[in-house]
Amino acid sequence: MTVDLVLVAGGAAAGAFGSLLGLGGGVLIVPLLTLGFGLPLREAVGVSLVSVIVTSSAAAGVYLERHVANLRLGMTLELFTAAGALVGGLVAFALPERLLAGLFAALLAYTALTMARRGIARGPRPAEASGPAGASGTPPTPATATDAAGETPGAAAEPAPPAGPADVVAGDATRRGWLTGSNPTSSVPFVASLAGPGYAIGRFPLGVVGSVFAGVVSALLGVGGGIIKVPLMNLAMGVPLRVATATSNLMIGITASASAIVYFLRGGIDPYVAGPTAVGVFLGALAGSRAAPRIDVRILRLLFVVVLAYTAVQMALKALG
Amino acid sequence: MSGTAAALDRTVARVLRWGIGASIALLAIGVALMVVEGVDPLGPPPPAFDPADIVPGILALDPLPFLWLGLIIAIATPSLRVLASLVGFTRTGQRRMVLVSLGILVVIALSVALSSGAA
Repeated sequence: MTVDLVLVAGGAAAGAFGSLLGLGGGVLIVPLLTLGFGLPLREAVGVSLVSVIVTSSAAAGVYLERHVANLRLGMTLELFTAAGALVGGLVAFALPERLLAGLFAALLAYTALTMARRGIARGPRPAEASGPAGASGTPPTPATATDAAGETPGAAAEPAPPAGPADVVAGDATRRGWLTGSNPTSSVPFVASLAGPGYAIGRFPLGVVGSVFAGVVSALLGVGGGIIKVPLMNLAMGVPLRVATATSNLMIGITASASAIVYFLRGGIDPYVAGPTAVGVFLGALAGSRAAPRIDVRILRLLFVVVLAYTAVQMALKALG
Repeated sequence: MSGTAAALDRTVARVLRWGIGASIALLAIGVALMVVEGVDPLGPPPPAFDPADIVPGILALDPLPFLWLGLIIAIATPSLRVLASLVGFTRTGQRRMVLVSLGILVVIALSVALSSGAA
């Protein structure tokens, strides 16, 4: 098999595993390209960003069609993730590769820990393509989009909003201007207007800060950043998990795009590597999302925790030189 | 959800689907041509992107322009989605969302401006 087809296969495996385990492509593609194919980390990040755009945009299209994603909230927050991604993309070219490898090792360790805790916290359950990390760009098939959004129907995993809708809006509206309501052009506070059916938006300023951080992380490490955005929207802002996951997918596209432009224009994306990888990840994620309802991922997840931990160690060793 | 919001969701979804569909199709053609020509992805890096090479390269069935075009469409698709939203928000008179959309496009424009010529 030629190297290009090996890249397609590797991308497909990363896409399929990511889809089955609720992870985005980036956290798998970057180690695959650096440790498996010997690519410089920065180049792997550029390639990963393209794959993340492709998979998350495909997923976002399905979520929007089903009206699961909150377009207005997503666009408002992505203004800040994109700004963070622009800064991160520019900074990435100034940072030493070893530092980036160290940061990536920390991200892998955090992801492994999160997955292990999810595995312990949940009882036996069939395949899942969900959870916070699942926001990172798995294209759901039309048949599985709702499940892939992060929740099994009726699951009681949704935390209550941090404050009641009325408290949030009324409290903020008395303190802030344009953002929350004293704008003379509208009688509806801005943050209140971002709410969806059955939920209000709380702690908007925290959402803004967290979004900037997610954008920086995405650009530095080539990941979608859903592992930050979904908990931020769900736990801090009171957005239902399904909506948060779908909205995160929508946001990932523009976040990754802002930094991918920096990588592209600075010659940081090799089309001979990015093409096969992106095609592979897309096909793999599609296959994974179709197979998810039929696969018990508990053992797969445990195996993956081990693989992620091992990869984190390898990345850490790379960082230490 | 109001009818206009639902319609905008559908329009934006269509932009994403067509954009990513076109991108994947071009990338897949590029990869197929790479296999046919025996291009080693880990070999010497390809020449820098030059828009003038796209059309002649496509006519010559060279894999590189297909890959460049696929990558550009993939990277541009989220911005096209924001542009579609901007049009929708403008039509429905949602001024604050118009400002948000413009803000995102400004950030994207800054990405291009700050990175151009830095390769």
